[in-house]
Amino acid sequence: MRHTGWMSVASVLTVSVALFVLAVFGVLSINLEHAATALDRQVELQAYFKPTMKSSAEQAFLARLKREPGVRRVVFVSKTEALSQLKKEFPHDTTLWQLISQGNPLLDGFQVYTNRAGEIPPLARMLRKNPDVGQVVYQATVVSRLTVVTRILRDGGYVVEGLLAFATLFIIANTIRLGVFARRREIAVMKLVGATDWFIRWPFLLEGIYLGLMGAVLASVAVIVGYHWVFQTAAHVVAFFPLAGVTVVERSTVETTGAGGMAVGLLGSLWALRRFLKV
Amino acid sequence: MHRIWGDAVIIRFETVTKRYPNGHVALEDVSLTIPRGEFVFVVGPSGAGKSSLIRLLYHEEVPTSGEVYVDQFRLGRLRRRQVPRLRRLLGVVFQDVRLLPDRNVYQNVAFAMQVVEASPRDIKKRVPQVLDLVGLHDRSHHFPHQLSGGEQQRVGLARALVNNPHYLLADEPTGNLDPETAEGIVKLLAEINRRGATVVMATHARDIVNRMNRRVLAMEGGRLVRDEARGRYGLDTPERPAWLSTVSHEA
Repeated sequence: MRHTGWMSVASVLTVSVALFVLAVFGVLSINLEHAATALDRQVELQAYFKPTMKSSAEQAFLARLKREPGVRRVVFVSKTEALSQLKKEFPHDTTLWQLISQGNPLLDGFQVYTNRAGEIPPLARMLRKNPDVGQVVYQATVVSRLTVVTRILRDGGYVVEGLLAFATLFIIANTIRLGVFARRREIAVMKLVGATDWFIRWPFLLEGIYLGLMGAVLASVAVIVGYHWVFQTAAHVVAFFPLAGVTVVERSTVETTGAGGMAVGLLGSLWALRRFLKV
Repeated sequence: MHRIWGDAVIIRFETVTKRYPNGHVALEDVSLTIPRGEFVFVVGPSGAGKSSLIRLLYHEEVPTSGEVYVDQFRLGRLRRRQVPRLRRLLGVVFQDVRLLPDRNVYQNVAFAMQVVEASPRDIKKRVPQVLDLVGLHDRSHHFPHQLSGGEQQRVGLARALVNNPHYLLADEPTGNLDPETAEGIVKLLAEINRRGATVVMATHARDIVNRMNRRVLAMEGGRLVRDEARGRYGLDTPERPAWLSTVSHEA
């Protein structure tokens, strides 16, 4: 190490930058997944009965609907409730609610919550075919867009990570190569007196792994400290911002950077030794 | 004469030719045998193939054609894994010694044992013995740059001997030394030979060769031109060093 001090520092820093980016992508994707799940559970479908429906028939219909597979919750919203909600939402638009309170033009309706977002569209199709149901409204787009964003982030992450991994491998390999060069005399003597290839190689492999793990430690610390800060700040700004839990993020960060650092250190030094330690 | 076949034959060259990638032919059709326990000088002008012969023996080079045998090893088709096993039978010393400058005498010698994974106990026991043998016991803590050329070569010898090799290969070990110091080194080699190691020494030192009266293999232009059981450096041109008589092909 002493021959190659600065080079080692440079490679640890490069590794840590690469692993930092990897970990940030990881944190982002954990959070997107977290948000998607949170939203998933909030997906609802809204439907309105035809004005001709009798109240008892409506209740019977809803009781049947509750037993459909995938349906988590059904909430009945009468047209009176709908009106007061509307007033609450637009309290200053007096003309609007004077106009509609003369004869409530709203309809009885209901909200259906499913377990998963994917269960909404078939349910909507089924309800649309039902003669008692007037209109079906649902917001599938939020969920599907979120899925698309996650996928783009993930694919983009792979590309960025690929490039960074290459740079990291390169600099680790070069560091190890410098180490081999600095110790060429020792290595020549070792070979001459009959040291085995692996006896000569393993200190360099360990050095590579060590460089990788040092980078991983730096990156982990940075990401975890950063996430704690983001988490606390977010909690102050919005009461229940859908952020993934700190422990989940910590664990995943340590695991990803640790494995990444080790892999990149091992591969980098193997790459360096491939040509340099022929007997 | 020595036996050609059988157990006693431990080093054997069979019609060995060594041609380097640049086309230079270092050895041409060399056949020889060196039985166990012999002391052999390899003499000849620069570029005659002495060093190549030594390098083939420790598998630094492989023959282009023919075959080299050392004990049970066929060096032309030696697997990579086998190279360390061959080298543990050999001790090699060079004209430029190749000590590690940042280690002292003791550490340089101990290093050779460490890298073949000898136990620390054996190292502690063996290194002082070998330093004693080469007469450097009181120099253990000196670094190579604090030693004379002769002392450095003794360290080189100690390093080559510390793992108890069956063969000692020496490529111009006295090349940089004054005659008296050189004499001391060769006496040491003779002592090592007396203790059972086979010694192969490539050299220019005609006085030493003539005085020692041992087997001499004379090389010229890559060919083995003379092989005498009790030889002299050069019978043909006793007044002139043989290395002045031919144009050298390599540095």
